[in-house]
Amino acid sequence: MTPYVDDRDAIIADLRVRLAEAEDTLAAIRNGEVDALVVRDDQVDRVFMIEGDGQSFRTFMEVMDTGAVAVDERGNVLYANRTALALLGRTLNEIQGRPLRQAMDVANAGKIEELLAQSGSLRHSMQLLMADPVDGDRHYLASSTQLRVGTVTGHAVTFTDVTERVRAETMEQGERAARAVIASANEAVVVCDRDGVVTHANAAAQAVYQNAPVGRRFSEMFPLVFPSATGLLQTDDLVEMAVSGSAVQGIEAVATEAPDVKDYLVSAAPLRVAGDQISGCVITMVDLSQRKAAEKHQLLLMAELDHRVKNTLALVMSISARTLSNEDSLEGFHKAFTGRVQALAATHNLLADRSWSNLSLKDVIASEFAPFVEHSAGRIHIDGLDISVAPRAAIAVGLIVHELTTNAVKYGALSNETGSISIARLSDTPDGETLEFVWRETGGPQVREPKRKGFGRTVISRSLQYSPNGSCELEFAPSGVVCRFAIPAEDLTTERKIFGSPEAMKGRLANSKSS
Amino acid sequence: MGTTEQKPPRRLVLYVAGQTPKSLAAISNLQRICSEHLPGQYEIEVIDLKQNPKLAKEHAIVAIPTLVRELPVPLRKIIGDLSDQEKVLVSLKIGDE
Repeated sequence: MTPYVDDRDAIIADLRVRLAEAEDTLAAIRNGEVDALVVRDDQVDRVFMIEGDGQSFRTFMEVMDTGAVAVDERGNVLYANRTALALLGRTLNEIQGRPLRQAMDVANAGKIEELLAQSGSLRHSMQLLMADPVDGDRHYLASSTQLRVGTVTGHAVTFTDVTERVRAETMEQGERAARAVIASANEAVVVCDRDGVVTHANAAAQAVYQNAPVGRRFSEMFPLVFPSATGLLQTDDLVEMAVSGSAVQGIEAVATEAPDVKDYLVSAAPLRVAGDQISGCVITMVDLSQRKAAEKHQLLLMAELDHRVKNTLALVMSISARTLSNEDSLEGFHKAFTGRVQALAATHNLLADRSWSNLSLKDVIASEFAPFVEHSAGRIHIDGLDISVAPRAAIAVGLIVHELTTNAVKYGALSNETGSISIARLSDTPDGETLEFVWRETGGPQVREPKRKGFGRTVISRSLQYSPNGSCELEFAPSGVVCRFAIPAEDLTTERKIFGSPEAMKGRLANSKSS
Repeated sequence: MGTTEQKPPRRLVLYVAGQTPKSLAAISNLQRICSEHLPGQYEIEVIDLKQNPKLAKEHAIVAIPTLVRELPVPLRKIIGDLSDQEKVLVSLKIGDE
């Protein structure tokens, strides 16, 4: 570029080129298109960075734990610190001057592009998931803020490792779900640590002993007795076995010290939260009270049946023996014996129909009259006896009414066409007192007391004497037979079921075993 | 920097100053323009004046980055990060026709 001194046009052309170049340089500096200048200082050229070279900032960024990348407005990497290069798995040379998205996988590249496209000075963030060869997937929070480096506008992109936070959140969610499962369970669920101290207990568990057991030892808060383990297994052992890794399944236990003593089916299993390490145990307690009650009820039903069969056989044998001793002929025995057994059967039929629950006195009496009603319609009056009595009273009344009816048909009010029988309650019986009613015959032939005292009179006088409060008195009044019944108060409770109170049931059970 | 297959009498020199944003942008823009529009036509040399400031003298460089089209003559300078692709192409093609 040596100018020709003698060629003025050439000089002018050269000066024009230099002027244009100078103007270009000035315009470039003014427009921020350059970020360094060459300055001649004492005959030596030096490079001068406009707004400094940022080296001190880079040194600072290098020691940061947060990944930091500076990109220009087109997304090309200007600089990335050590942490950012490590998480991207690249060297600075590989990514400098190239789009940041090229340093990432497809999914994250899209997110980074989206992040950088968000304009304005606000900080924008997005979560990225990056594969880590050592630690599996790691979560990063990528944030972008507008940045001005020297004359360049771009973005500062930071990558904060939030893996631990995400994992903690995931674990917390899992724990929350587990707690919800425990809380929703109908069974009592108790979680203990390795020392047997309760860490969780759902509402059903807290209801067992009506307390807040968390923080206390399981064996103190839930003292259990294991009847089938004959004292060898204690509550502490249960926890110890589970914590040592042996699951205990379905052992029957009784919460003897609970306000509401109940039977439970108890299971205990080791609790493994992470890996194989046992961090405690989970104990579940299923309420067995309903099943136990059903078992007891069934046992009592069998005992009751046994008891009744024995009683009935004894009664039949007694009827047979006494009838035999009072009848002169085989025919007479057959008739009397059959009648008495039928009377017994009539009451039994009623009892069977009602599943051996309480019977109404009116029904019992009416069933004994049934064979004679056809001939005696309108002559028998039963009044005020729609009262429930226990089975033993029903059987006794049935047998007595049979004897009275047989006698009335043979000799009394039902032996002619004009007699009638009234069976009526004497007066309203207050609760807890003996019920009295009277059998009264009228209009029949004149009555004389028979000389011979047969088995029928024994049946009448003794059948209700199973209780000191029960009785039956027969009077041979000339105008007609009168018989006064007294039903023991304990057999009158209308609401009572077949076996009466639990205590009475236990007593009955004991008696039947010994009899 | 990359070389062409047939050693043409065309040569570009890009003056940069270390890894300043404009220097990095100029390198990346020049690579893109040459590979997309002038493949194999230019031999490119990148000179880092931060490492060797004396080399500024040869082309009387004042502002960085600056691209110098050394060959073919006439010599041309384009100052800035070369982000204006049209301007760069016009300057590089002068005298080609």
